[in-house]
Amino acid sequence: MTGAAAATFTDLATIARGAVDTALQRGADHADARIVRRAEERLTMRDGVLASADAPETCGIGVRVWKNGAQGFAAAPGSHRDLVDLAAGVARRAVKIAGDVAPLRRDPVRLAGTADACGAFETRCVENPFLVALEDKRDLLVWTDRALGGRREVVARLAEIRIAREEQWMATSDGGATHQVLVQSGGHIEATSSARGVVAKRSYPHSIGGDFRSGGFEVIRAMDFPGNAERVRDESISLCHADVCPAGERTLILGGAQLALQIHESVGHPLELDRILGGERDLAGGSFVSETDVAEAVEGAESSLRYGSEYVNFIADSTVPGGLDTRGFDDDGMPATCFDLVRSGRLAGVQSGRASAGRLGARSSTSASRAAGWHAPPIDRITNVSLVPGAAGTLEDLISDTEDGAIFADTPGAWSIDQERRNFQFTCEVAWEIRGGRRARLLRLPTYQGSTLPFWQSCDAVAGPESWALYGITTCGKGNPMQSAAMSHGAAPARFRGIRFIDVKRS
Amino acid sequence: MALLEQDHAFEIADALIDASEADETEVTLECVEDRFIRFSADGPTQTADRESYELAVRVRFAATGGGFREARARCGGIDEETAFGALGRALTLARIATDLPDAVPLGGPTEVPETSPSRPTQDHSFREKAQWIRAAQERADADDLAPAGLARTTVASRSLANSAGRRVFGATSRAEFSLTCADRTRAAGRAQSSAARTSVHTYADEIDADLVAQDVAASAVRGREPSPIDAAPMDVVLAPPAVSALLTWLAAAGSGAQELAEGSSFMSGRLGEELLDRRLSVVDDPAHPRFAGWRFDGEGYPTLRTSLVASGQLVGPVTDARWAARLGLANTGHAMPQPSAAGPRSSALVLEPGETDEEQLVEAIEDGLYVRGLHYVNLVDPQDLVLTGLTRGGVFRIRGGEIAEPVENLRFTHSLVDAFRSVIGVGVKLERQPSLMGGEVVAPALALRDFRFTSAAPGASS
Repeated sequence: MTGAAAATFTDLATIARGAVDTALQRGADHADARIVRRAEERLTMRDGVLASADAPETCGIGVRVWKNGAQGFAAAPGSHRDLVDLAAGVARRAVKIAGDVAPLRRDPVRLAGTADACGAFETRCVENPFLVALEDKRDLLVWTDRALGGRREVVARLAEIRIAREEQWMATSDGGATHQVLVQSGGHIEATSSARGVVAKRSYPHSIGGDFRSGGFEVIRAMDFPGNAERVRDESISLCHADVCPAGERTLILGGAQLALQIHESVGHPLELDRILGGERDLAGGSFVSETDVAEAVEGAESSLRYGSEYVNFIADSTVPGGLDTRGFDDDGMPATCFDLVRSGRLAGVQSGRASAGRLGARSSTSASRAAGWHAPPIDRITNVSLVPGAAGTLEDLISDTEDGAIFADTPGAWSIDQERRNFQFTCEVAWEIRGGRRARLLRLPTYQGSTLPFWQSCDAVAGPESWALYGITTCGKGNPMQSAAMSHGAAPARFRGIRFIDVKRS
Repeated sequence: MALLEQDHAFEIADALIDASEADETEVTLECVEDRFIRFSADGPTQTADRESYELAVRVRFAATGGGFREARARCGGIDEETAFGALGRALTLARIATDLPDAVPLGGPTEVPETSPSRPTQDHSFREKAQWIRAAQERADADDLAPAGLARTTVASRSLANSAGRRVFGATSRAEFSLTCADRTRAAGRAQSSAARTSVHTYADEIDADLVAQDVAASAVRGREPSPIDAAPMDVVLAPPAVSALLTWLAAAGSGAQELAEGSSFMSGRLGEELLDRRLSVVDDPAHPRFAGWRFDGEGYPTLRTSLVASGQLVGPVTDARWAARLGLANTGHAMPQPSAAGPRSSALVLEPGETDEEQLVEAIEDGLYVRGLHYVNLVDPQDLVLTGLTRGGVFRIRGGEIAEPVENLRFTHSLVDAFRSVIGVGVKLERQPSLMGGEVVAPALALRDFRFTSAAPGASS
């Protein structure tokens, strides 16, 4: 085992500052250092037993430098005891890499703005999730599991809760020094049933790994897993007996959980500036939005890109309470912010980090640069991007105001979109055909296709603030090598006209 | 930081096992060194020289009614305070865990084949990676193309030791050079045509950057000004990257015993059936020369070469200790790290080669498409492996058995089971390819009849 000189947590800001100083002494033009310590707790109940109980922790330092117009990044793990010995060496390695790759740069990296913010941020928690007794967490899962069972059609039951606490110390060569404590809590439940040769799954409150918020254990209590388990179970059984959603062109009402993914894929990603500039073309892809579109949007031109109908407004907000990307500063050290992405249907802004904003010639970034941890260099990232609520009342108001034959669908099942974020296909977990202003026939595998701009332009109603909620995405993959990030998307149910459905069983 | 040697890894594990109060204790330790340069048309955009540890401690207390209560904790360091902190957290969690009545005892001593990374891969420098990228830049410049990609080498070691006396260790390496070249001629600098290829090998000296650059640039040039095309079922030749993107889902959603038992696998209720074309055989083989992967699973059992499909007939799933005991099958050694709510999973899928080279596959098609790659393939319905995704990185019309003009991208929505019943031919040359959704597969090209394209994808770069 390795031994090392002792350091206290209060020293970590000094260690980060020391790494930056070393990089500058070694010839870096700019530098920043991030020390990140992350602890999680994951409890997973499957089919009546606690199938997985896991408590991962990591801590390490990442140093990023710019020298001769090129970036270098190095990172190493270490406990708070031995980071003091590691930091200078990591900084030296980062500077060497920048020097090695600089001859390949065609155009020097220009960083927009100044990362001189100093301050602290801490997620507000009503109930510290790490102080809730493990027995209470287990019992919550046991009760939920029991409620998910009791019917012979159920072939798999799953209930999971996860909590995370991430503490970050960052120093920049612009004089920035920040400290953040970010806490996230959440989970999900699932029932999988089998009947008539059909296997169907139903999830709550979200699929794709569950729903999460920044906050404490109060987030998990509010999800009320035991109170929703029987409904989830019964819907999974009913789906086994349901018809496949038929093909054709119909009106579509999307629920908030599905809208969150629709926003993520067709608004969040195409409005990341690094994608627009070609920096992601090697794996995830580019964007149908052009540099000209961005320039017009930033200038506030009234003729900027028509992204959606007049009912469509999107904001990017890394300050909203409960958001998974709600924090004080991004990983470039820039203060969190809130701004319009789409205003009354027109493109109004994009999400950027300092490097992409600099390439565009902008004065500053929009604080959207994040890394997957201490071991990864930051890249432009979707923040909490939300559809602003409209005036169409509740979900039931929206349904009652919609013609027979329309479809209400919710909860992501499968999704796919092209590399420029234009042509998409989504399958939801569940749908109902609307008859007489109410949900009528249950349908499975509802699958709709579309193209981003016509889709959002077809939106003619968005439900009101009373139906608006944040939904967490915890598995957003981007970068090469792939980095995972979390963010939230707020939405109230919305209605879209003339949407093409396909029958995936007869396609 | 250097890769952990076997003796050092076991010394750390033994200290934790000796100190553990649990009835059974297992320690796994993975050490990774990773170096990459990512680049776009402007040159390098991100780099990293990084290392990481993952030390996992799994502890088990015997349950009064049989079986165990168990939990795991992980940490990113191997110093004493960090490692013993993980042991303490695992013990705390295991004390509140529920009984697992059918949990089988940890396995004892076993032998696994030795594996090791090559020294040149371990020492591969940033300047050497820069040479790969320079080759791509020069080739792209010659054809007025914008390059983007990744040059990366990774070496890793993994060990597992437990209180039943099991000691297994392995080390491996991976080298990757991926390149996308996009046409610069579109207005506002956006691409109309693009082509991509990823070269993945166990050793860095197997990467031929010039060959990759030449292939990608030539395809991007040939793909300029693609024609619109209506979506309809069409005969296709899928190049190995496209085949791999499909097969990744067979590994992720259809190969494991848990999905089989729950009825969601395409194998459920069909074992023994000749469900697929007789020319198709699928195995999980970590010892395949193109993989050279880990030879033991998340519980330290040897990962066996396992036949999933033999000449079109469904043979069986991959298993782990728990699911093998539950279903009365042999343990094939495909456990995830335990404890886990996920069942066993294939991690080294190989579609066995046929006897036809790619040109002959194209010659067998009168009117169809040649597809270099697929993008964002996702699972719609696991029971029949219904998948959806798009063509990407070059799609060309086949006319009269020859590759003809480029066409715009298309979306497919198709059952992999149906597709693999409609085989025209199986390629002879194997490639190892990663998938956007994770995982790697070794596969040849395939020619398939009536592949179901369900919509056009106008506007997306080819």
